[in-house]
Amino acid sequence: MSTERIGYTCAYTPLPLLHAAGFIPHRVLPTSAPQIPDLAGAYLHDNLCPHVKRVLDRVLAGDLPDDLTGLVIVNSCDAMRRLADALVGRSAAQVALVELPVCGGPAAVEFLTIELEQLQTRLCAWSGLPPSEDRLRQSIALYDELAGALDRLRERAIDGRLDGGFGALQASVNRAVTRPPEESLAELRRMPQQGGQGRRGVPIYLFGNLLADVEALELIESCGARVAGEDVCTGSRQLTGLGPAPDGPLLPWLADRMLARPPCARTLPERGGSELAALVVQGARRCGARGVVAHVLKFCDPYLARLPRVRQALRDASLPLLVLEGDCTLRSLGQHRTRIEAFIEMLD
Amino acid sequence: MILPYFENLVSGIETKLRDLEGTDEPRARKRFALEIARLGVRLFGGREPVAWCGVLAPFDLLSAMGVTSCFAEFVGAMLASTGGVEPMLAATEGTGYSTDGCSYHRAVTGATQQGLMPRPDFLVATSAPCTGGLAMMENLARHFDKEMFVIHIPTRDEPDVVGYLAGQLRELVRFVEVRTGRPLDRRRLAEAMERTNRTRELLLEVYELARSRPSPARRRDLFNFGLVVSLLLGTETAVDVARTYRDEFARRVAAGVGGVPGERVRLMWLQNRIQFRSPVEQLLEQAGVAVVVDEFNTVTWDSIDPDDPFEGIARRTLSIPLCRPAQRRIDLLQRLARDYQVDGVINPCHWGCRQGTGMRGLVEEGMRQVGVPVLNLEVDCIDPRNFAPGQLVTRIEAFVELIEDRRGARDGG
Repeated sequence: MSTERIGYTCAYTPLPLLHAAGFIPHRVLPTSAPQIPDLAGAYLHDNLCPHVKRVLDRVLAGDLPDDLTGLVIVNSCDAMRRLADALVGRSAAQVALVELPVCGGPAAVEFLTIELEQLQTRLCAWSGLPPSEDRLRQSIALYDELAGALDRLRERAIDGRLDGGFGALQASVNRAVTRPPEESLAELRRMPQQGGQGRRGVPIYLFGNLLADVEALELIESCGARVAGEDVCTGSRQLTGLGPAPDGPLLPWLADRMLARPPCARTLPERGGSELAALVVQGARRCGARGVVAHVLKFCDPYLARLPRVRQALRDASLPLLVLEGDCTLRSLGQHRTRIEAFIEMLD
Repeated sequence: MILPYFENLVSGIETKLRDLEGTDEPRARKRFALEIARLGVRLFGGREPVAWCGVLAPFDLLSAMGVTSCFAEFVGAMLASTGGVEPMLAATEGTGYSTDGCSYHRAVTGATQQGLMPRPDFLVATSAPCTGGLAMMENLARHFDKEMFVIHIPTRDEPDVVGYLAGQLRELVRFVEVRTGRPLDRRRLAEAMERTNRTRELLLEVYELARSRPSPARRRDLFNFGLVVSLLLGTETAVDVARTYRDEFARRVAAGVGGVPGERVRLMWLQNRIQFRSPVEQLLEQAGVAVVVDEFNTVTWDSIDPDDPFEGIARRTLSIPLCRPAQRRIDLLQRLARDYQVDGVINPCHWGCRQGTGMRGLVEEGMRQVGVPVLNLEVDCIDPRNFAPGQLVTRIEAFVELIEDRRGARDGG
């Protein structure tokens, strides 16, 4: 099993590629670490999203695993690009920036394939392992299995059959993205298959970008909500199954699968595709939610610019919306408790 | 409301230019403003195919295909400069747009909501320079229920990326052909690219002359110039505008006449100017401070092969530092600081701009490496509502004093 890690910061990162190159993919989460001072402000403006600033704080403060060989940053938005800029020369770990097309299509897949080839070459140079289709195939299968196990756990959390609910689920997800996938899979297999107290609380649909703090999910549920469905970067988007790998070349297939994921706010649907607003309405209706909670980080342009249309689409669908703006600290979410409680009361 | 504004502007500037005939008075800026006003008439006139675009769209290619195109942010700047932006911003705030977002984009969104933006035939979005701009374009496309072509501009410029981008441009041609019903005329495109190349040569001369000491550029001569002149590329108008500037600057340089009387301090201005009426430029001029270069007033690209322009246009796009890692932008700023012998840099940190303002500290560090101080102004270049001129003036005055003190110490004064 690998012992060296590659840090990453975006759910679009091709984890099987990192794993097949001999690394443990390690999500650098912007989770609350009050002892880490604000160091990012010296390089990046205060108006950048707290996710990248907190990650940069952690890097500059040396708050990363000692065995971190490199960082893979996906160019998914302005803030991520600026993070990569600030890391170069300031991070002890090496940095690789991966371009990500803004929408799908054959040319985009072809381009992303080249990006993945270059990333593979770089990762293999870091690890000293030669690129291997067989290893990549195994890693894809492993991550598919892990994603499937987490999906099943998510179903249990949704059904109220998981002790600790969505908080416990998030703890498992966080472990799965910071530890060897083999270990996480084994742990998930060992977990008791029964638990929870059944479906309790008002069903809500949760969407947004980052909400990785276990306590944050616990807080939402403690306000009387039951998360009936979610679409969050650090939740169900974090690990998504790619499906069985084909017999042919894997990188073009991997590129295609990456771009075929349901689009998050930074990704535009292909011509004629549904916009974020429609996807949120679909997601909420599919899970039977009575209301929708958006958790969006401050200064996140892709979400901020699309929220008004999401709001309108939900209004048209008679689905109430509560928008929580976060800054990657629990403190900010704690301040929202009263609003969440009032929202749930209104839905009840 | 906007069409009559541009029509009045055209007739007003035409009158002024006629009055200047036969005199030695400067006219380059008016010539430029006239062509921009005429572009405004075409955009808002409803008589030609129109495309709202991202900032880095290939305007000469679209022009060669008979499409009047413009980056949408242009409207935000225009609204701010004419004092009409506040109701637009207020409209977006009333419909849930966060004030943390870029006010260029919010102004355009507000104008759209108010029915002031003409319905385009289609849209051409660009992934660079910013994610916020792309989101605004998607919202416009949804609002107008019009198709949008998206150009993905990566941050690398290796041959595979040039080929990828050139391929997207060829695909754009097919997209436009279908929407306009007019096939691309290769001869017309080649002629447009020849005009682009001629404009490029003239702009190089203009910028070379602007480096002179004293600089021939008056305080508003090259204000908003580099980005906006790209809207005219591919046309004879662009050639004429650039030539007018070149000739005017050459005359002034030959006569040793500076654009700012008594030029004592030379500054570089980063990214965008403050678009609404503010005392900044007048204050600078009164203090003998010349903004000798704006970041966008530069040519970063090579000539384009008129007979096979797609790779050349792609290389041009990728040469623009807005698309690239921060270090590429810093390299350019350091070079401009040396070439123009600037004493300092003003960085208006436009609130809501993640891609430019976002790298504030990196830029400051980069300029420090070449011994050039930076004044970071925390402003919103579009929204005048929170503008505090007194504070701004004090900071600029202190910055100029600092520069002069440093110079005095260096010269042993």
